[in-house]
Amino acid sequence: MAAYLARRIGQSLLTVFLTLTTVFLLVRLAPGDPAAAYAPPTASSADLQRIRAQFGLDGPLITQYGIFLRDLFTGDLGTSYSFRAPAFDVVMDRMPYTITLAVSAIAVTTVIAVPLGVWMARRADTKRELGANVLTIAGQSMPDFWTGVMLLTVFAVLVPVLPASGFTSWSGLVLPTVTVAILQLALVSRLVRREMTVALAAPYTTVARSRGVSERALAWRYGLRNSAVPLLTALGTRFAALLNGVVVVEVVFGWPGVGSLVVRALATRDYPLIQATVVVTATLAILVQLIVDLAYPLLDPRVRLGKAA
Amino acid sequence: MTPTPQRALPESERLGRRTLLRGCALGAAGIALGPLSACAGPTGAPGPGTLTLGLNRSLVSLDNKLNQFDAAVTVQRAVRQALTRIGPGMRPEPILADRFEMTGPTAWTVRLRDGVRYSDGSPVTIEDVTTALEMYSKVNGSFLLGLFPELPAVEPVDERTFLLRTERPVPVLDRLMANIHITPAAANKPEELQSGVGSGPYRVVRADSGAGEYTLARNTRYWGPRPHLDTVRVRFVPEESSRVIALRSGELDVIDTITPDSAEQLTGLPGVTVQKTSGVRICQLFYNFRKGRGHPLADARVRHALTYAVDGESLVRDVLTDSAEQARGVVPLAIEGAVRTGSYTYDPRRAKSLLKSLGATDLRVRIIWESGEFAGDASVMEAVAGMLQDIGVRVRLQQFQPGGDILKWRQGRAGDWDVIGNGYPGTTGQALTSLQGMYGGTAEKERTRDTYMGYVVPRVQRQLSAAATEADARERDRQLAAVQHAIWDTWPSLWAFAPKTLLARRDRVHDLNLLRLNAYDLSTVRLEG
Amino acid sequence: MTTTALKPGRPSAVTARDLARATATRQQRGARFKLWAGAVCTALVVLPVALASLLPLPDPDGQDLSRRRLPPLSADHLLGTDQLGRDLLSRILHGGQVSLTVGVLAVAVSGLIGIVAGSAAGFFGGWADAVVSRFLEAQLALPLLMMLLLVVALFGPSVTVITVVIACAQWPEVARLTRSLVLVEREKPYVAAARVLGLRGRQVLARHVIPNVVRPAGLVVLLLLAQAVLLESALSYLGAGPQRPFATWGRIISDGQAYITTSWWLVTLPGLVIALLVVGVNLIGDGLRDRTRRRKGA
Repeated sequence: MAAYLARRIGQSLLTVFLTLTTVFLLVRLAPGDPAAAYAPPTASSADLQRIRAQFGLDGPLITQYGIFLRDLFTGDLGTSYSFRAPAFDVVMDRMPYTITLAVSAIAVTTVIAVPLGVWMARRADTKRELGANVLTIAGQSMPDFWTGVMLLTVFAVLVPVLPASGFTSWSGLVLPTVTVAILQLALVSRLVRREMTVALAAPYTTVARSRGVSERALAWRYGLRNSAVPLLTALGTRFAALLNGVVVVEVVFGWPGVGSLVVRALATRDYPLIQATVVVTATLAILVQLIVDLAYPLLDPRVRLGKAA
Repeated sequence: MTPTPQRALPESERLGRRTLLRGCALGAAGIALGPLSACAGPTGAPGPGTLTLGLNRSLVSLDNKLNQFDAAVTVQRAVRQALTRIGPGMRPEPILADRFEMTGPTAWTVRLRDGVRYSDGSPVTIEDVTTALEMYSKVNGSFLLGLFPELPAVEPVDERTFLLRTERPVPVLDRLMANIHITPAAANKPEELQSGVGSGPYRVVRADSGAGEYTLARNTRYWGPRPHLDTVRVRFVPEESSRVIALRSGELDVIDTITPDSAEQLTGLPGVTVQKTSGVRICQLFYNFRKGRGHPLADARVRHALTYAVDGESLVRDVLTDSAEQARGVVPLAIEGAVRTGSYTYDPRRAKSLLKSLGATDLRVRIIWESGEFAGDASVMEAVAGMLQDIGVRVRLQQFQPGGDILKWRQGRAGDWDVIGNGYPGTTGQALTSLQGMYGGTAEKERTRDTYMGYVVPRVQRQLSAAATEADARERDRQLAAVQHAIWDTWPSLWAFAPKTLLARRDRVHDLNLLRLNAYDLSTVRLEG
Repeated sequence: MTTTALKPGRPSAVTARDLARATATRQQRGARFKLWAGAVCTALVVLPVALASLLPLPDPDGQDLSRRRLPPLSADHLLGTDQLGRDLLSRILHGGQVSLTVGVLAVAVSGLIGIVAGSAAGFFGGWADAVVSRFLEAQLALPLLMMLLLVVALFGPSVTVITVVIACAQWPEVARLTRSLVLVEREKPYVAAARVLGLRGRQVLARHVIPNVVRPAGLVVLLLLAQAVLLESALSYLGAGPQRPFATWGRIISDGQAYITTSWWLVTLPGLVIALLVVGVNLIGDGLRDRTRRRKGA
């Protein structure tokens, strides 16, 4: 167990490190000059050179990398150019917003998709199930930025009941959540339906049915409970993906999370901020994945770690 | 976790799993919601005494040492003030000073207003001014400094009066000093101040620089007339369409620097007023002046001929929806010292025949610009490309993402281009500074690529520096007018326009006096109802 | 499958009605419906896009500033015009050519990389597996869209770059699936047989194993096409699309967003077209998957 854990953590650290190095190189190789993003159009070359020196961008790449590594091992991710504050703190300030959005989107998805999946399993292969199936696929197929803009048009322009942008009240959470949830519905409901179908055909269900357990109870108590593990795994993975994947939705709704921060950091070539975002989101995503893996044996006593993985 | 005892009680095992699940859910909810519940109120609607501003750029701090854009100035000045400000009509007005006069060629006499105080009650002193100048001079990467030919030295005369001395004459010092915000000396640092007090009509109650959100409350100790608003909330709403929607629904009270498209959508809506004023910024489709001798665009006649292809009137009317003026000079006429020098005419047939007579057939033009350089940039560029194509010029558009490499291109270090879409700010409100910035290029500056798109015309440059050091005001104006005509005749731009400064507000907002500099004084703004 | 082999006059208690109600029949009907509906949706978009240059449409870049933002069903402009008076239908169709080209090419490339990397990892194991798995994991952990934006900034927004970038974003899906399929195939007797016959590992993989996994992997590739189209439009929407004045779906929408309160069609219609295409492709993929799954079970 301990050995497994150590290996997993070691691998994850390696992944984060490689990712970070890639990003370090990419942002510096990409055209664009952070100094230019902060200087006015009237700035002279000398001004720009001074800004570059201040940001520590005047040395050769390898020196910059050395400094970066040294700082990294002391836990310092640098100072954001545009915020003039520790990049890590800037990212962590935004993290709660992204997590809120991810949690609420996952919650809404679960609340809708699980009953839907159960319903679909109970009415497997009927026309109604097919209809629901096609609908969720349609939801999954709409570009998220478009869904977002459409929802905005309806609920903020035509019937202005919800705020258009930002997070000033809890109602601001509704539209982004719905936009993200629409994307996830198909995946989760289909998973529940598949697992349920298997569970409902299993011998123990037949036994229960013969003992007079109602169909509804069968579905919820026997079917759903047995699809809990794959469901939780899927939700965990989705959650991890959402932590670094809601860029577009955050941009559309002016959501002050990490996604919109990244877009802004890219636009100003704020290298430390870009790197800090990658470290934080990558670590979080890997951590969630690790927790999901470790939670396996707790949720399902049949699984033993180290072998399965 | 693995070695579960073989004969463990199933109940406890189950309990363990359930507790784990519950713990996870609670923990996640806690992590997610904990920090947010503090900042989110129950509703998003502004209160009766609260003004909510929606900025399209994030205000990183309320200090201007490193961070200055138009809307920021409005908010920054509500908290911290300078000795002067550029008021209506682009004239400097004293603020913290009640006297700001040039009393010698290199000396200005300044007297602090009697009884000016910071929001903590302490008085504004001469030492605060000295320290402020020192801190601005020490800050790294500041571009305010670039505006000053030199920073003045402070010489106290008495308790309230002091002299500002420079080595050489700086006739615009009263304008420049509007950029130096005064903070208590002890709290000032050579960096962007994240907190601290100011002498302005409002004080900061809450600041979240990461999200760009601020709450200001009335400064009860304000030295001037009592400000009307209880609270000012500053929000960062990056997406333009979201700002429009939020203003419509009343979620925001004022949105500034709106695009012509937004202005068109908002004009005539009940409850919303769009305010316009002439701007001090000039947006140009500037030619590349680094073309080799034989290149057609190195010939002013070809540059002139091409301008006939652009239907400026239609661009202003249809694409910029009347929220801009075609340039009739080389700097916007709204700034001091600008003169009319000519105008752009649309005559595609003439463009064609002129180009033919000049032997400049089969022209290929690459137009570059950065996204967001000016409002409606992409539409203007696509429209101009279409117009040039109509006279047989082949056009390639190259749009740069913000943060991309446009600077290198602009300096002629990355690739060849012919026309660049560029905006030039009129920060001081004076023609001379803008003219020198754009057209004062010398061969020496060109060596470090510090000229404006390679514009090096020694004759123009000589005339400009002569005007800059001319002591007699009338003679200076005459020389300035002459040089503007000389510049116009070199046909530096394919087309140019001065965008109007646009702002939209809810009707409950009153007495918002939008200045040409695209800022306004928050202390006069009132709310009704 | 089995039902088609039935002869009409067969003596059996199972009536035609029972057969029609049977799960297998209904599943088949569902799959067929999805295939058909998917094909229709896809064709509705793909055909006009493919034939855009042949259709009597105005020039997608031909502007007329006096006829700006005309609503749909105006004279000469079926779907109206955009902010510069260009025909929206023509721009959507020509923009679709870019999006579809990028999508198809990206999927071909990612399919190729994915199958090669995945089968190598699955078949050889050891360090090959370790390398591929690390890459897969890293890519999962990365903020995908951000990396794409960075790479596009690095190499400039051309169709080639965007294609490659999307391919790189998608190969993990194919690789992961191929790897798991190959892991199963590897243990089958025919592989051992081929080995006994003296074929070397690489030959076994190329000649015997890969042909057996290409079909199921191909299915995923089809579903990825839908994703590729979505990704391309998202990149365009965020500003990392091919240079102007070319229309792309994402850009038409992001440009149109400025007119959202007055000109609904600029955003709504291109979005509907994307959605229609992606729904179509997803339905076909789903239908095919339903079919294979059942065949496997049978």
